[in-house]
Amino acid sequence: MAKGPFKNKILLGLLSAVTVMFFFSFLLVPLYNVFCEVTGLNGKIYGPSDFFKKQDEIKEREINIKFLSTVSGAAPIEFYPSVQNLLVITDTVSATTYIAENKTNKKITVSIVPSVSPGLAADNVKKIQCFCLDGDIVLEPYEKQEWPLRFFIDSDLRKNVNDVYLSYTLFEKDREEVMVMKHEH
Amino acid sequence: MSAVVENNDHHDDHHGPRKGIWRWMTTTNHKDIGTLYLWFSFLAFLVGGAFAMGIRAELFEPGLQLMDPIRYNQLVTMHGLIMIFGGVMPAFVGLANWLIPMQIGAPDMALPRMNNLSFWLLPTAFAILMSTAFMEGGMPGFGWTFYAPLSTNYPNVAFFVFAVHIMGISSIMGSINVIVTIMNMRAPGMTLMQMPLFTWSWLITAYLLIAVMPVLAGAVTMLLMDAYFGTSFFDAAGGGDPVLFQHIFWFFGHPEVYIMILPAFGITSHIISTFSRKPLFGHASMIYAMSSIAILSFVVWAHHMFTVGMPLAAELFFMWATMLIAIPTGVKVFNWCATIFKGSITYETPMLFAIAFVVLFTIGGFSGLMLAITPADFQYHDTYFVVAHFHYVLVPGSVFSIMAAVYFWLPKWTGNMYDEKLGKLHFWLSFIGVNVTFFPQHFVGLAGMPRRYADYALQFAEWNAISSVGAFLFGLSQLLFLYIVLKTIFVGKKATPRVWDGAEGLEWTVDSPAPYHTFETPPKING
Repeated sequence: MAKGPFKNKILLGLLSAVTVMFFFSFLLVPLYNVFCEVTGLNGKIYGPSDFFKKQDEIKEREINIKFLSTVSGAAPIEFYPSVQNLLVITDTVSATTYIAENKTNKKITVSIVPSVSPGLAADNVKKIQCFCLDGDIVLEPYEKQEWPLRFFIDSDLRKNVNDVYLSYTLFEKDREEVMVMKHEH
Repeated sequence: MSAVVENNDHHDDHHGPRKGIWRWMTTTNHKDIGTLYLWFSFLAFLVGGAFAMGIRAELFEPGLQLMDPIRYNQLVTMHGLIMIFGGVMPAFVGLANWLIPMQIGAPDMALPRMNNLSFWLLPTAFAILMSTAFMEGGMPGFGWTFYAPLSTNYPNVAFFVFAVHIMGISSIMGSINVIVTIMNMRAPGMTLMQMPLFTWSWLITAYLLIAVMPVLAGAVTMLLMDAYFGTSFFDAAGGGDPVLFQHIFWFFGHPEVYIMILPAFGITSHIISTFSRKPLFGHASMIYAMSSIAILSFVVWAHHMFTVGMPLAAELFFMWATMLIAIPTGVKVFNWCATIFKGSITYETPMLFAIAFVVLFTIGGFSGLMLAITPADFQYHDTYFVVAHFHYVLVPGSVFSIMAAVYFWLPKWTGNMYDEKLGKLHFWLSFIGVNVTFFPQHFVGLAGMPRRYADYALQFAEWNAISSVGAFLFGLSQLLFLYIVLKTIFVGKKATPRVWDGAEGLEWTVDSPAPYHTFETPPKING
C-alpha cells in the first residue's frame, strides 16, 4: 500500500478531472455555436448581408425557394408566408412577406427564429432585410402585420442544391395581462 | 484518507460488525456496502420491472385500456431511470465493492467512509425522484433522455434534476474509490496486467464515469437554469439550440452505455474461463479491447441523432466510428469462443447465463451495427427496432451478466450453495421470457411502429400481445430469483472455499462465506 502523497496525487487528479469535465459541459455551449458559425452546419443565419457581387462572377441559376412557418407551442397567433413558393434567379434580390395576426385582445411580444434547410445552404442565403433579424416584435390586440423579407441566393450555392427551404418559427415571449377594472371588497 | 491509515495498523483480534440497523447505516466494510448496493439494485429491478409490466399491460392490445398517455409516458420514463441509475449501475458498483478488494488482495476499499456516503446518497436520490409520484403534476414523463425543451416545460423537473445530481455524485465518488483502491492497494507483486478482468473492466468503467457523469451534471444544471432561471441554453426563442441539448446529452449518454456493459464483459470472462476449466484466451487482448471500446465511446455520440439534420460529412464520420467499435467487441466475442473451445465444459447456472450473454449480446451488437448505417437509420430511428436493440444489450447483456455474477459468487458471499435445479429453471424462464419479449419488437420496429406511444396501429397487435406475454413471464420469473437467493442465504448447503472446480483468483482462496475482514496481511503473488 502506497503512503500518503502518491495516493493524494491520484485523488487530486481524479477530483480535478471531475471539476474540469463539469465545466467542460458548459464550455460545449460556446464551442458548439462557434463550430456551427464557422462551418455553417446547422442552418443558422448570422446577421444581415450586403448585396455586393462583381458582374463577371454572376452565374445565373434558378432556385426553388419554399417558405415554411411554425408557431411554437400554443401561441394564439396566425403566422404564414404570403406565398409558399418562389422561383428565384441566383444573385438577384427577391422580396416576399410573412403575415402575422394576433388573435387575442392582449398585446403580445414575439420573436422569430430562422432556419435554412439544407443546412449547408445557409451560408448562401443572403438576407438583406428580415423580420427574423429585428429582435422582438410587438403585436397589438387583433393586429395583423405584414413583415418584409428581402434576400438573394448566392450563386456559390453548391450545384446539387436546387431547392432551399426557408423556415421561420414564431415564439411568444410575453403576453400583456389585461387589467380588469373591477373593485374588489 | 484517515481510514486507510486505520487499516494499516489494525489489530488481529478483530471486532465483528455492529448489531442491528446501525451496522448498515454506519458500515465502512466493503462487503457490507456491496451487499447494500446489491439489495438496493434488486429492489430497483423489481420496482422498475413493475413499471415495465404496466407498460406491457397497456401495450397488450391496441387502444387505451389501463392508463392515459400521460401516465404511460411517466411509466416509460421512470422505468428507464430506475433501471439504469437504480438497477444496473448500482448492481455493478455492488459487485465492485464485494469483489475488487478480494480480487486484488486488499483489506478494503481505499476510502471506506466515502464508500458509505456514496451508497446512502442513492436511496436519498431515489426518494427525491419517487416523491414526484405524490405531487401535483406527477412523475417526470419526458423519457429518460429528458430532451429539452420538452423537459424544461414539465412540472416537478427540479426534483428530477436534483435526484440526477445526487446519483451523479454517488457514482463519481464510487469511481474515485475504485480507481484509488486499484492503483494503491493491489497485493505486492500484482502488476496491472495481472489484474483479474472484472477489476480491469471496472478500472476502465470508473474512468468513463469520471469523464462523463460531470457532463450529465452540467446538462441537468443547464436544464434547471432554463426551466427556472430564465436562461436559454436550449430554447430557440431566446437564441438557444435544442439540438445542442442532444449533443451534450449523448456526449454523456454513449459512454454511459458502455459503463453499463464493460463490467459485464469482465464477469463473463471469469465465468466462461471457470466453467471451461481453461485460462481465458487472450487476457491482454481483452484489456486492450475494453480500453479501445472506452476510448471510441467518446467519438460516436451523434449516431443517436442521425436524423437531426447533420451534414453528410458528420453522418459518415459517426457511422464509421460506430462501426469501428465492432472490431474490439468482436475480439472479445471470439476470445470467449476460443476459451470455450476444447474446454471441459459444465453447464452450471452461471455458465448458462454467461453463454446466453455472449449469444444474445452479439445479437444486440448486430442490430447496433444495422442502426449505425446512417441511411438505414432514417428508417429505424425512434422505432421499436431501437427498443429491441438496446434491450438486447441491456437485459440479456448487462442484467444476465449480473445474474450470472450473483450465482457465481453467491456461495462466496453467503457460504451456501444455491439450488442448482431452481437456478437452471430461473435461467430457462428468463431466457425464453427475454427472447419472446424483445425479438418481436425487431419486427414491429422494422414495420414502422414508433417508440414512446401508449397506443399503436392495428397491424402491430399480434406481435405486441406476444411481446407482453414474454414480458410477464420474464418479470414473474424474477420472483423465483428472489426466492432462490433467500433460500441460499437461509437453508443452502455449505460451500467449499474454492466453490467451483475451475475457479481461479484470490477471492477463492478465502473461506466461504468470506470472513468480515479479508487480506489484512497482503497475499503473496507468484510471477
